[in-house]
Amino acid sequence: MPGTIHLKVNGKQHAVEAEPDTMLLYVLRDQLGLHGPKFGCGLSQCGACTVHLDGAAVRSCVLPAAAAEGRAITTLEGLGSVDKPGPLQQAFIDEQAVQCGYCINGMIMTAQAFLDAHPNPSRDDIKQALDNNLCRCGTHMRIVRAVERAAKHWKHAP
Amino acid sequence: MNARPESAAVPGTSDFDASRRQFLKTSGGLVLGFSLFGPLAAMAEQPATRIPASPSGAAQAFPAVDPARLDAWLAIHPDNTATLFTGKVEQGNGSPNALAQIAAEELDFPFDRLYVVMGTTTSTVDQGPTYGSMAVRYAGPQIRHAAAAGRQVLLSMASKRLRVPVEQLTVRDGVVSVGGDSGHGDKSRSITYGELVDGKRLDMTIGATGKTFDMKVAPDARPKDPSKYTIVGTSVPRKDIPGKVTGEFTYVHDVKVPNMLHGRVVRPYGIGSDLLEVDESGLRDIPGFVAVVRQRNFLGVVAETEWGAIKAAEKLGSKRVRKGPADGQAKWSDWRGLPAADALWDTLRHASGKDTTVAKRGNVDAALRGAAKTLKATYCTPFETHGSIGPELAIADVGKGYAKFWAGTQMPHQARRDMAELLDLPVENVVVNWVEASGQYGRNGLEPVMADAAIMSRAVGRPVRVQWMRWDSHGWDPKEPPIVQDLEGALDHAGNVVAWRHHMWVPTYSDTRLLASELIGKPVGQIHLGDAAIQYEYEFDHADVVSHGEGRVGLITSWMRAPGQFETTYAMEAFVDELAAAARQDPLAFRLKYLKEPRAIAVLKAAARQYGWESRPAFRGKQSGRLATGRGIAWVNRDGSRVATIADVVVDRDTGGIRVKRVVVAHDCGLVVSPDGLRNQIEGNIIQSISRTLHEEIAFDRAHVTSRDWASYPILRFNEIPDSIEMVFVNDSAEYPSNGGGEPSTCPTAAVISNAVYDATGIRLRQKPFRPERVKAALAHA
Repeated sequence: MPGTIHLKVNGKQHAVEAEPDTMLLYVLRDQLGLHGPKFGCGLSQCGACTVHLDGAAVRSCVLPAAAAEGRAITTLEGLGSVDKPGPLQQAFIDEQAVQCGYCINGMIMTAQAFLDAHPNPSRDDIKQALDNNLCRCGTHMRIVRAVERAAKHWKHAP
Repeated sequence: MNARPESAAVPGTSDFDASRRQFLKTSGGLVLGFSLFGPLAAMAEQPATRIPASPSGAAQAFPAVDPARLDAWLAIHPDNTATLFTGKVEQGNGSPNALAQIAAEELDFPFDRLYVVMGTTTSTVDQGPTYGSMAVRYAGPQIRHAAAAGRQVLLSMASKRLRVPVEQLTVRDGVVSVGGDSGHGDKSRSITYGELVDGKRLDMTIGATGKTFDMKVAPDARPKDPSKYTIVGTSVPRKDIPGKVTGEFTYVHDVKVPNMLHGRVVRPYGIGSDLLEVDESGLRDIPGFVAVVRQRNFLGVVAETEWGAIKAAEKLGSKRVRKGPADGQAKWSDWRGLPAADALWDTLRHASGKDTTVAKRGNVDAALRGAAKTLKATYCTPFETHGSIGPELAIADVGKGYAKFWAGTQMPHQARRDMAELLDLPVENVVVNWVEASGQYGRNGLEPVMADAAIMSRAVGRPVRVQWMRWDSHGWDPKEPPIVQDLEGALDHAGNVVAWRHHMWVPTYSDTRLLASELIGKPVGQIHLGDAAIQYEYEFDHADVVSHGEGRVGLITSWMRAPGQFETTYAMEAFVDELAAAARQDPLAFRLKYLKEPRAIAVLKAAARQYGWESRPAFRGKQSGRLATGRGIAWVNRDGSRVATIADVVVDRDTGGIRVKRVVVAHDCGLVVSPDGLRNQIEGNIIQSISRTLHEEIAFDRAHVTSRDWASYPILRFNEIPDSIEMVFVNDSAEYPSNGGGEPSTCPTAAVISNAVYDATGIRLRQKPFRPERVKAALAHA
């Protein structure tokens, strides 16, 4: 039966009515109107639904919303906006690293968590970090370049 | 879609209506001259928005746009921004940029102030589906002429206003001035397009004849001399990317319409199974559950929430792995009519169809008999899935006398007609609001899912949003067909080709039957026969090239990026390589010997130059060590675009793994409109075709597709991408009209890799995909 779930998303508290086993993805998209995370497979295979939970990249399509209570959830919207894109988002714009863009949420959320932990990665490190994220348009070369470009920002950050 | 900032909301929704009101507020005067359904009105206010969400029961009409009118193509706004309307759609290719660059060029208008509205059937002209690398090639000239006509109209308006002859006017960045004088704000010397048009519709007649691809628009317009181009041929940033990297962009997957329910399909167990029984027990316990929709063999569920629909569908049997026809609360007949997987190639050879002679020259049989050396080979390629990362989705609102859709289809205008047929509605009563979907590479399930949504919405009397689950998409999207090809060739003592035979068995790749329409027993769409998807260009003395076109073989198969030609290029270009190797000749020189067409020769030479090709025969003998390296070359002419590709590969003898390390592509699609957009497309084609070559194959048992997720249908991952993809544009000049770039560079890849693996190891891979176990087996037999 539906109950109230308390979620902290992008720094804001929300109380939503949902069944406790509802996957976080559907609560974010359908109830909170956050369209950064996408439905891709529902099987934790493609990464399109990736969000951060306490700073770690997780697959929201297989994470029950109730399990995210009390944790800090960050979505793509939490990293920046069209008016003020975050450094990684800006790097994707600079490299024009999008074709259809449906997978890009997963690429950015995964790369952001990775760069936070590894601010000075090699190209192979980046490929390894993104290896479980699928892109069907074949934008991989540009995505890697975008993450490399952004990594410079992480390296120089205090 | 390059949506205007003010109209980032979605056509046909209340958000859109609200943003339109905001737009009116901030751009006074726009309402002047509105017709009810004119495109400018449609851009800002879809007719659908005025329709109450709960159906009144009255029939509603959604008229088409008249291509002979200027406002069918163009609107100029008071703030001196403009909108281009096109029936072409974005599928991830970046084509809005190219089309807008063409329009901005003719209008002498700044690209960054020109926005594009695509696809929606009440706002745009039917320019034919967006497929076959034909957007720039066919829609480009239509838009070029419409925009050139628009410029003439605007200049004559300016001539009247400024009281000087048109000949004395110049235009720069959407500002008309006398004799090139920018006027420095002097209104007697210069005026913007926006001020000239003053919020009115451009409701002039510019003329149009013919339909869709063949339509000629504004025949009297005089487009610009290409030597004066300043926007075409430059790389401009895509307007959709900032929204897509921040979550602000609205995909069709994000659209909500008032009163909307969520639907999920429950497909038959077997492709041809009949639905025997549906046990609905327990469904009502699922919060938000609304209804089961059952019509003959069509089964779906509808709920207030997405999660409720997913859970209800799962109970009925929608899941990744299904154990049998009674696995779930819906019971199906035990249909097992698919060919056994290992009998597929024989099935293809024996399917009925029609032969098309592609080339017939000399006497191949006699030449084979008299030859010094003969070779025979068979090439096999499997079913493949589009595998869009976002599964197919559509929203339908079907009421009495109307049907409204929100869909990402590549053919909104044709889909409108198909939905009208499915629902027994006059086509005027159907509207397709086009909203971009996850990338598509041909006809995936974005049209079939519209039929699913239509049937469910009609049944429950409310708008229904249907998204396929991953297994619905992998399991039931229209597939690229499997093809089997037999080749035979012969050499004389000097190593010249004296005979060439290439017979191919090609099931349809234009089966447009809507799955749900078959399931309800009211088929909509055509099956057709497989076409000869080959451009045979070699000049061998004796040649016999025949395509056996067939109907549906097992699964619904439709076009997927360079349909058929990816496969025929593989066989043709790998077998040419076999002959070159048998003749101990350099594979590039060997090809050039038999090619006369200058553009074919040019791309091969350009690729070789960029790569640093050294002349030598393939396979120099077994390399010591675990890793063997090799190079491969192949080329294609796809509908007039020529591409030559060279790649280096590394083969791991222990694992059978293949890595493509360096790729060089020489690409001739004539004048390049949007260079970075084309590079993005070529990179995409190369990566995707490497993926298709190395990994992709739909698995099936006698009942249904069994590779229904990304584990069972792997695609290329980051660790496997090449180190570099180098590109050279050939004949990038106005003498060569712009041709397609969305598909052609897919074609050579499988042959390139097969040829490179031969060069490295001496083994010939004649069946896709080249998965490690297959490579290992071939190495073991070498």
